[in-house]
Amino acid sequence: MSARISAKTLRYLIVIGLIALWELLPRAGLIPELFLPSLSSTLIAGWTDAGEYGHALAVTLYEVVVSMAFACGGGILLGAIVGSLPRPRILIMPMVSSLYAVPLVILYPVFTVWLGIGSESKIAFASIYGFLPTMLATAAGIQTIDPQLLLAARSMGATLSQRLVRVIIPAAIPTVLSGLRVGGALVIVGVVVSEMLISSAGIGYLISRYRTILDSAHVFAGVLLVLFLAIGFNAVIRWIERKAAIWQTGTRAGQANEDIATGAMQPAT
Amino acid sequence: MQPLANVTPLKPAARAGAIEVKNVGQVFKTRSQDVVALEDVSLEIKPGRFVVLVGPSGCGKSTLLMMMAGLRQQTAGTIAISGAPILQPDPDRVGVVFQEASLFPWLTAEDNVEFPLALRGVPKAERRAKAQDALKLVGLDGFGKRHPHELSGGMKQRVSIARGLVQDPPVLLMDEPFAALDEQTRMTMGDELLRIWAATGKTVVFVTHSLTEAVYLADEVIVMSARPGRIVDHLQVQLPRPRTYEMLSGDAFGSLRDRIWRHIRKSA
Repeated sequence: MSARISAKTLRYLIVIGLIALWELLPRAGLIPELFLPSLSSTLIAGWTDAGEYGHALAVTLYEVVVSMAFACGGGILLGAIVGSLPRPRILIMPMVSSLYAVPLVILYPVFTVWLGIGSESKIAFASIYGFLPTMLATAAGIQTIDPQLLLAARSMGATLSQRLVRVIIPAAIPTVLSGLRVGGALVIVGVVVSEMLISSAGIGYLISRYRTILDSAHVFAGVLLVLFLAIGFNAVIRWIERKAAIWQTGTRAGQANEDIATGAMQPAT
Repeated sequence: MQPLANVTPLKPAARAGAIEVKNVGQVFKTRSQDVVALEDVSLEIKPGRFVVLVGPSGCGKSTLLMMMAGLRQQTAGTIAISGAPILQPDPDRVGVVFQEASLFPWLTAEDNVEFPLALRGVPKAERRAKAQDALKLVGLDGFGKRHPHELSGGMKQRVSIARGLVQDPPVLLMDEPFAALDEQTRMTMGDELLRIWAATGKTVVFVTHSLTEAVYLADEVIVMSARPGRIVDHLQVQLPRPRTYEMLSGDAFGSLRDRIWRHIRKSA
C-alpha cells in the first residue's frame, strides 16, 4: 500500500493547516494581533457581539438577494434579447463592452446622492455591477447556439415557442449559469464594498467601522462572515449547475463555461 | 361537416413517398445582385427509390433538399411529396437527417429520438415504444440512455437516422449525413443505411460530395451544375443489390463514376 494522498484530502489538509496557522502565529507573537488577531479572539469578538453581527448579516443578505434578483433577472432578459436580435446587439454591445472595462465603483458616490445611504444605493450599485457579466454570458450563450439544432427542430415541426422552450433555453443554460456565477459573486462584492464606503448598516459597514477604531478582532469577525456568504453562494451555484447541466461535458458550451468559470472574465474593480 | 365538393381528392396512399419537383427556381437577393441558386429544376422520384444528389459546391443540392423538407421556400415552381405540395416542414411526410452536430446534447439518445413525437404531445409510453423500435432498427438497441457525447460519430448518426424515421414518414431526406465521419465508419454506415432502407422501403434522397458513395448507394444519381444550379444528368445505377465492396473496383462502377466526374469537372 502506498501512502499517496488524494487531491481532496490534500486540499482539506491545506485548509486545516491555514486555520491552525491563523490561531498559532498570532498566539506565538510572530504576527501582531493588530495585523492578524488569532482565530479564537476573532470568534470570541463575533460571539460577544452576535446581535450586532446578526443584524448586519440580515441587512447584507437582504441587499444581496434583492440585487441578485435584479442583476440576474435583468441580465438574463436583456442578454436574451441582445443575443437573439442583431439590431439591439449592434446598438448595445459596444457600449456594454466598454462599460465593462470601467471601474464602476466610481459611480457609487453618485448613487448615494440619488438614493441616500440606505440599502437602495447598495442595491442599485450591486445590481449594475452583477448585471453586466450575466447579460454578456446570456447573450453569448444564445448567440453560440448551433443553428443546425434550430434547423433540425424546425424540420421536426417545432413551433417558435417550442424552439424557445425545448432548444434555445436548454442550449443556453450552461453559459447562462457561468454568467450567474460571475455576476452573483460580483453582487456580493458590490454590496460589501459599497457598505464599506458610505453607509450605516451591514457587514461591510461593521468592518469599516471597527477598522477605524483599530479593533482587528471585530474586523476579522466581519471578514469571516463575508467569507461564509461567498462560500454559501458558491455552494448554491454548484448545486444548480449539477441539477441543470449534467450534459455539458464534451460540448462547446461546456468548454466556454469552464473558460469563464476559471476567471477569463474578470472585470475591473 | 364542410362539403368538399370542389376539392380534387388526393390519393396519398397511392403516391405515398413520391416526390415531384416542377420548374423549381431559387433566387437569393443580396445587396449588390440577385444570385440564381437553382434554375428550372424538374425531377420525379418514384416511391421507394434511393436517389443521390451530387454536384460541385454551390450547385444548390442542399438548397433543393431543404426545399423538399419545407425548410426553405422556392422562388419559382412547385414541390409535391406524396401527392400534396410541401409548404412547411411536415414530419409525417418527410424525415430529415442532418450532419452529425444536430442531436440535442442535453438529451439522451432515446429522448432525442422521441423529440419529434414530444413536440406533438404523443403520450410518454407510446413515445418510448416507438423510440425503442427506431433505435433497434438502426442497431442501437441498449444505447438509449447515453448522451450524444458518450456515442461515437457513427452511433450519433444512427441516432439521427432513428429520429428521422420515428414518425414513419414515407420520405427520408439526408443532407451529407456521413460527411463528418472517417472513411471506415462511412463505408459501414453506407451499408447500414442500405439495410435500413431495404427494411423500411422509404424513398431516400441523399446529398453527398463523394462520387463513390453516390454510385455505391444509389438507384439513381442526379448530377447538378453550379450557378445557376441545374440538373445536367440523371443516371440509373443498374448494379445489383445488395451492393458489395468488390463492386467498387468493377468496370461498371468505374464508368458510372467517371461519367459523373466529367460533368462535375466541366461545370466547376
